[in-house]
Amino acid sequence: MREVIHQYGVESDWMESMAVQLDGYVQGSYIKVPEGGSPGTRYVCAISNQITAFLVDVVYHEDVVYRLRNTQHDFISLFFNLTEGNATHILNGVSRSIGRWGYNLSVFDSNLDGDYLVKSGCTTYMIAIFIKKNALKEYISDIPKYNQILESVFEPELNTIVRFDRMSNQAWWLMDELRRFPPGGPLYDVFIQGTVYGLISDYLDQLLVQEIILEKVVQEDVSNIISSQSYLVEHIKDHFPGIPALASKACMSETKYKKIFKKITGDSANSFFLTNKLSFAKELLEKGNHTVAEIADEFNFFDASHLIEQFRNSYGVSPKEYLIKL
Amino acid sequence: MSEERIEFLYHYTLSPEWQQQVADKLGAVITDQKIMVMPDSIATGSSIFLEVLPGLSVFLLDMTFHVPVAITRIATDQNYYMAYFDLGDEVTTHLLHDTEHRAGYQSKLGMGFMDASIRGIIIPPVEERSYSLRLIIDKDFLKCLFAPNREEEITSGLFDESKNTLFFYSHIDSRSKVLLNSLENLSFTSTSFELKLKSTALRLLAYLVDRATRFQPIINKLSQQDIDQVLKTSQYMLDNLLSDFPGLHQLSAMADMSVSKYKVLFKKILKQTPNRFFLNEKMLLAQTLLLSGNFNNVNDVAYELGYNQPGYFSGLYKKNYGILPGEIMVKS
Repeated sequence: MREVIHQYGVESDWMESMAVQLDGYVQGSYIKVPEGGSPGTRYVCAISNQITAFLVDVVYHEDVVYRLRNTQHDFISLFFNLTEGNATHILNGVSRSIGRWGYNLSVFDSNLDGDYLVKSGCTTYMIAIFIKKNALKEYISDIPKYNQILESVFEPELNTIVRFDRMSNQAWWLMDELRRFPPGGPLYDVFIQGTVYGLISDYLDQLLVQEIILEKVVQEDVSNIISSQSYLVEHIKDHFPGIPALASKACMSETKYKKIFKKITGDSANSFFLTNKLSFAKELLEKGNHTVAEIADEFNFFDASHLIEQFRNSYGVSPKEYLIKL
Repeated sequence: MSEERIEFLYHYTLSPEWQQQVADKLGAVITDQKIMVMPDSIATGSSIFLEVLPGLSVFLLDMTFHVPVAITRIATDQNYYMAYFDLGDEVTTHLLHDTEHRAGYQSKLGMGFMDASIRGIIIPPVEERSYSLRLIIDKDFLKCLFAPNREEEITSGLFDESKNTLFFYSHIDSRSKVLLNSLENLSFTSTSFELKLKSTALRLLAYLVDRATRFQPIINKLSQQDIDQVLKTSQYMLDNLLSDFPGLHQLSAMADMSVSKYKVLFKKILKQTPNRFFLNEKMLLAQTLLLSGNFNNVNDVAYELGYNQPGYFSGLYKKNYGILPGEIMVKS
């Protein structure tokens, strides 16, 4: 197993050392890693002088353990991590499953050391955002619920900020759109900057409305709901399976299922399903090879007008209008 | 009524200081150099201005005006372009020079892109919400965003101000519209609004550049009069969507240009031929009418749009949208 002892920071002086330990090198804002290791895109983008983003879109052909040992302690990291495969984070002896179907959003104080294990075969798509502590404080200090946010990310026992969470559906789609944006050049930076501001604001909103701290929920319930989300996304072209079927799959009563789904994802199962259905339909529409009727059929909407109505409710324009004015 | 209008002249800067003109002349109150509130007698609501990054600022206005105002952005030699998005779909009367963009049954072009050296006039509707967003983009920054996607010769031609004027009008493109719609219901003071606005501004800019690189480059210097005249004809078409296409001769005569010059300039500004422009607008109106629930059958919609043969209309519609009008019609 390859061991990488590294650090992060708003200033990007950490890139060189990480590149070398991955047998790679730094080229401009990219870390280039050879084919046999974990090749793909590793790109560092300055968002402002207070914020830096690290974008990773790679495939692992070897096991790697990243040991984060920061020397700068003036920032907070937000990891939006959509890894598919076996990836684990170990903090103070506790392992947590990280990635698209685990904790896909984690927030760390730069004071914290942690180990992150990625197994060969994983594909990682991740945006890490490093924000200076004083800048983050500025963003949230004029918010009346400032204390509530601080409370929800503050871990008194460790006397530091740490949180393992799930990103919102909207954040997922923001990341998805960025992934499809042609990389390279100054316009790519503009789009990353736009996405990063979107992700930060989305997470601040999430902290305000979320009723629970995810980690305090029984692990089994969390993983059942995440599997349920995964099932819904895999079957996004079908009809909504219905609460009874979903609840029994998740080994819960219908009442409990509905309640806990809402608490964990911030949305009802039905609405989660529809929002994603529409987003996938919109994505297909953008490709331009399908009519609205075909898409309605493909995604099992009752008929074209049902799709049109739902689309308009969600996006404020009809699919036709959307298509014409692309 | 136009005599009673408050006339107001201003220009933007990439930094917040331009807002002082509004404070000085109209008595607006500015907080933190960001939020601007008009005197109650003129308008309720507010506007917000943010510097997003060096070379890009955003100005968002959400106000309801209570008195008629003509807001003129004067031509300056400042080094910026402005992109304008107006969500008030059928309401704002947008006046460029002496060309008045009126609203009504017709569609309205909600997006404009122009050089700081072109003057623009806005006449917001009275007692109706105006919701519009402007990107103020440094010229050199925009050029550098365009450069990698185009051949160098074309980029330098497009950005050479002695040879070319960057200017266009269109509908707001779908991706931008969806983005703006999601911003529209948020209060300026809500959590993380400034982050959202920055995110929106950056993504709008990326969409704008992405879209504009797909435009066929037409390198031509535009005079203010050229712009006025061409927009006069596009507006004429938007005001007369229920008639037949007026024909190139009538339109170019209206613009006081030769047919060949008119065709080139129209395509440069509106990104389509006059004929295609008219047909697209007509089809968009057809779409609105079909979904309005105000008609009993497709024939009635066809007649309303001035087609004597409903079959011909259905064929055109199908050719444009790949679906027959009857399939999407909402009947009354």
